[in-house]
Amino acid sequence: MSHETWQEQLRRGSLDLAILLTVSPGPRYGLAIIQHLEAFTDLVVSEGTIYPILGRLTREGLLDATWVEGEAAHARKYYRLTKAGAQRLDQMKREWREFAGKITRLIDDAERHDHAAQ
Amino acid sequence: MQLSDTGESRVNGYLFVLERSLKTFLPIDVVRDAVREIESHLRERIGATDASPNERVALEQILSELGPPLRVAQAYSAERTIDEAVATGRFVATVRAVSQLAASTLGGFFLACWLFIGYLVSFAFFAIAILKPIFPNNVGVQYVHGLPVGLGAHFPLEPGVQLGGGYWIIPFAAACGLGIFVGTSRGARRVLARWRERRVS
Repeated sequence: MSHETWQEQLRRGSLDLAILLTVSPGPRYGLAIIQHLEAFTDLVVSEGTIYPILGRLTREGLLDATWVEGEAAHARKYYRLTKAGAQRLDQMKREWREFAGKITRLIDDAERHDHAAQ
Repeated sequence: MQLSDTGESRVNGYLFVLERSLKTFLPIDVVRDAVREIESHLRERIGATDASPNERVALEQILSELGPPLRVAQAYSAERTIDEAVATGRFVATVRAVSQLAASTLGGFFLACWLFIGYLVSFAFFAIAILKPIFPNNVGVQYVHGLPVGLGAHFPLEPGVQLGGGYWIIPFAAACGLGIFVGTSRGARRVLARWRERRVS
């Protein structure tokens, strides 16, 4: 597997979690979600590809989408976390922390051996 | 930034191409909602951007960050068609999802070949079941020198080929066709589900 493929898989695997985290404090519309993701991560490669993911998460019942008129010159579609989404997010956060912790321990152990060998 | 007529035409052209691309695989109400959301995104970005160094450059920058309309449509397609096929298992949805994969990946191409062969064989059995009562003397088990060599329809029968098999062929062919059809559909659905898992995980 090339490094680019690995990075792409890592990015795709993290996007669902990142989107759910972005809407967990409160409802946000599409562009606000993208801007939040761009401020904290490098996960958004192309803005237009975030909307289909928001659509899928809505179809899966993890997000709820509502059009709001009158707030701006054009209507905005707001996404909020559903009860099922909140449960999935808790599960994903737990699993992510466990996973990241294990990989970090593995990296630390490998680096300790490298230093010892030098 | 307030768009000129040229800028408006560029935005409308982008949305037109997106809508046309989405219409090929999504229901019309979903297309309208998706285009409305992308337009909302564009209007929001345009409203918050200065026309510097000029409107054309600023607008092209916004559109390039959003991505070409065909790529955005492909992203919708990838998220939608496989999900629909896995969720419903419907024939049309499965064929559509596999066709889309076949056009973009080598594995998808082989899956499409397998699906095509599976459905072709099942339809051939259905055809035998339908044709037998219409052409009872041309449809059945073919024997050459007393050995069974095939099952099918022959118009006309070749010399040296005898046709056997009674009307039991009808339920037999129907059951085989149905079994192969269901097996092919379930197999494709399972492969698509695994594909989706791999994409998500």
